[in-house]
Amino acid sequence: MPCDRTTALLAAAVTLLTAVPSVSAEPLPWEERAIAAHVERDDHVGTLDAARLQALRDAGEALFKARFTPADGVGRPMATQAITPVKRKRPFRLAFFRTAGMDANSCAGCHNDPVVGGAGEFVVNVFVSEGFTDTDFDNLDPQFSNERNTNHLFGAGLVELLAREMTADLHRLRAEAVRAARAAGAPVEVRLLTKGVDFGLLKVMPDGMIDLAGLDGVDTDLVVRPFSQKGVMTSLRQFSVNAMNHHHGMQAVERFGSRWTGTDDFDEDGTADELTDGDISALVAWQAGLPPPVEKVPDDPRWRQAAARGSALFDEIGCGGCHIRELPLDSLRFTDPGPYDAAGTLRASDVEAVTGYDLAMLGWAAALRRNADGAVMVPLFGDLKRHRIADPVNAHFGNELLAQRFVDRDVFQTAELWGIGSTAPYGHRGDLVTLDEAIRAHGGDATAVTRRYVALAEADRSALIAFLKTLVIEP
Amino acid sequence: MRTVADWPRLLLTAALPWFAPPAAAGEQPAPPAMDVPLMREEAFAAGLAHAYRGPWEFFVGGGVAALDCDGDRRPDLFLAGGSEPARLFVNRSPAGGALKFEERSLDTVSERDLTNVVGAYPLDIDNDGHLDLVVLRVGANLILKGGPDCTFAPANRAFAFDGGRDWTTAFAATFEAGSRFPTLAFGNYVDRSAPGSPWGTCHDNALFRPAEGDAPRYGERTVLSPGFCTLSILFTDWHRTGQPDLRMTNDRQYYRGGEEQLWRVDPGRPPRLYTRSDGWRSVQIWGMGIAEADLDADGYPEYALTSMGDTRLQTLDEDAEENRPVYRDIAFERGATAQRPYSGGDPKPSTGWHAEFADFNNDGRLDLFIAKGNVQQMPEFATADPDNMLLGTAAGTFVEVGHLAGIDRPTKGRGAALVDLNMDGMLDLVVVNREENVSLFRNTGARVDWGTRPMGNWVAIELMQRGANRNAVGATISVKTGNTTRLRKVQVGGGHASGRLGFEHVGLGVSERAEIRVQWPDGEWSAPYRVFANNFVVIERGAEQARYWLPQ
Repeated sequence: MPCDRTTALLAAAVTLLTAVPSVSAEPLPWEERAIAAHVERDDHVGTLDAARLQALRDAGEALFKARFTPADGVGRPMATQAITPVKRKRPFRLAFFRTAGMDANSCAGCHNDPVVGGAGEFVVNVFVSEGFTDTDFDNLDPQFSNERNTNHLFGAGLVELLAREMTADLHRLRAEAVRAARAAGAPVEVRLLTKGVDFGLLKVMPDGMIDLAGLDGVDTDLVVRPFSQKGVMTSLRQFSVNAMNHHHGMQAVERFGSRWTGTDDFDEDGTADELTDGDISALVAWQAGLPPPVEKVPDDPRWRQAAARGSALFDEIGCGGCHIRELPLDSLRFTDPGPYDAAGTLRASDVEAVTGYDLAMLGWAAALRRNADGAVMVPLFGDLKRHRIADPVNAHFGNELLAQRFVDRDVFQTAELWGIGSTAPYGHRGDLVTLDEAIRAHGGDATAVTRRYVALAEADRSALIAFLKTLVIEP
Repeated sequence: MRTVADWPRLLLTAALPWFAPPAAAGEQPAPPAMDVPLMREEAFAAGLAHAYRGPWEFFVGGGVAALDCDGDRRPDLFLAGGSEPARLFVNRSPAGGALKFEERSLDTVSERDLTNVVGAYPLDIDNDGHLDLVVLRVGANLILKGGPDCTFAPANRAFAFDGGRDWTTAFAATFEAGSRFPTLAFGNYVDRSAPGSPWGTCHDNALFRPAEGDAPRYGERTVLSPGFCTLSILFTDWHRTGQPDLRMTNDRQYYRGGEEQLWRVDPGRPPRLYTRSDGWRSVQIWGMGIAEADLDADGYPEYALTSMGDTRLQTLDEDAEENRPVYRDIAFERGATAQRPYSGGDPKPSTGWHAEFADFNNDGRLDLFIAKGNVQQMPEFATADPDNMLLGTAAGTFVEVGHLAGIDRPTKGRGAALVDLNMDGMLDLVVVNREENVSLFRNTGARVDWGTRPMGNWVAIELMQRGANRNAVGATISVKTGNTTRLRKVQVGGGHASGRLGFEHVGLGVSERAEIRVQWPDGEWSAPYRVFANNFVVIERGAEQARYWLPQ
């Protein structure tokens, strides 16, 4: 009877459906997906205690190490690597592509030297381009991208906090100058000095007009952007959203979601809302909590002696002018989203409540020195400022063909030297295999210091290297 | 405009295709995923108590001029009053705060001159760095010469300008090639003194070109005939030749044998109408307002034309060529017809007035605002006819959110200005209402469950050049972020009896920086200026670097 047959078929179908694991159920251990459950940001707002912070960081570490699959949304067949949502002209036939990406299956695929979260060898260089145009052919011509070595992320939370405090200082100085100029009815000049770093001169007119010509090493909006070799990324959050799209084709809702693009699947890979706000928060928390590199004391007494001599020389010849040993940080409280991101990266003002945690809860924080004012001294050997670092005579560091985000090709942010002893090769392209080569390659604003280094006796140059090799990432 | 029963037109109206009817009660479409700005009405709290009133002559008009008259870069407001005096309100809003205005006396102008005002447009006629006001009136038009600290003085005599006696309802200005002073165009409405008025008795329109010399003098009036009861005009470089022509939208209610018009305006030569032989297609609407925007940034602008019933959205047809203005309507396919009220349940057709493209939610896409309101008491048209906020979508269409934004009020909107009044990077909205107080909406950001939040990134750009045309009227601003280019035109004209000059606002969506190039009015392109988002930017011609301005 037809009716009975139908019933029987339905029953069989039901049996089959109950026997085969459902995709909507909890993922099975062997299932080919990396994200079993997204992180909900609402579950992590307010001030986190150590246990809640650890839970969020654990989720972030899992995402950092995850090898994403189509079930997660990996790949971006109809989107370029651009940091703003840009459609490809036509579908891309290759999932992986070394230059335009996606170029890695996992964050940890590159950030792994000496441990996960670390730097990368030359072989994991990335190709940085704005991604606003889309080549449809295999192309390694540098006119389409800049090749960059993988930075380590240790101490990144401290770096972002330093940048935020510096930005706050610069904005305060600007606002005070505006008020003063208006009150005086005359132009006011203000030296943009924060944490001992000089970002030039700002001239403010009585009517609120700002003369930007005297700025030095910072963007015209006076936001200190501490991340990337160029110093063009504001926050770990912004960088994570960028990188997830560029390297993995994993698109964060906060930039590629329907609020801005009108669709929940901008890259048209069949997966909607690939990374939640909470996923990005977890990634931020994990990176922000990575311990800072340290200055180790070598076991070898000869190394200790040489390093001590090298440390003194570091200051004597002027390396510390830009590679400032320590910058003072007033507060270890990290809030996410942060205060200076623009739309497209979740902003503090985008949410009803932010996530806050005190990095002092993490074990490594106790080892940081504090100055007489109680500020944490962050030993980053950097100034979070951009400098011209190449010239026609010493052009190596000017070897890129593209400016990036308004920053000229021969201008880079001072590389933080903490961890340098663990992260060979060197230079923004990772194409210098010794520290001696890297130092000699400094041109432009660093020319005088480089000359002093070259003029040192060989033993002194060796001592300086000995010192730099003590700046390590300790797993 | 319609003031008495007009059965033939009613029949035509009934035949209008009522596409995309609003959802039935209880079937409101889901709110769009994009940011919808929450607009808080705070006119009285801000000290803005003013209405546009008067008899039949003031059923149309009701304009506002938004200009900085005291040098603090905040837009101040000159509001037409109809049969009551026009008034000037100086902006005292703190940056990012509640809106606040103070009335400023116009005691240097006679009350007679300030009454019967229909609308006004700001323009620096004499290149002295102070914006002047061209005041449209029922009767003699008026040029008010601006001075320091919001002082204005009548200048018809000084500029040898005869304001005439017409019922003027439209204005536009351009700096023609080689001219130190602007050319002024006036659009006029019904000639009430003509036999048979008001039917088929439209005034001619007029063009005033400046005489040679070191001072603006407008002794010579060029008649633009025929006039078809014009309610909005705009100089527009429709075919990207660098030479704007004069677009007119006309009210079919009163003309006979009329249509929409485009005048070719060659410098030094009499204007002439584009005709059928030029490809100009006859369109007959109750034309009330014009807005121009280059929606696809191809250099060829689109035009929104308000009317009774459906709004038109015109784009150049593929048959168009240089000097061959062939347009087609894309309002329906773009969801921009806005032909009847979207809230309030009144199924009758709308009456549209001021139109303006702008980016209310800073998502990088242009939105369309239309002021709506019954002419007076026309029973066959919607009585409660809320203004439209049509947000541009990623698909290139528009979606109505006026009810979500909070601007769906049963007022009789007329003229309007979309300007950032409290300098927070979000466009606020002033709407002049007939017989009711002005609406003053402060844009407080995107509506969310817990309040509001900031929307997309933005940049506001002010142009300056020395000598003539200091505000660079006619300039094109190109704002590039990634692969996307957004274009803005510095214009004086269009809308409905309302104009503005000052910062040009550009939403940037998720872009945190932009590259700006300016095509100055003489056609010269600037070098690119690199700016960061969320700043007020001042670009002076020839400057190596753009400057920022910080409001306080």
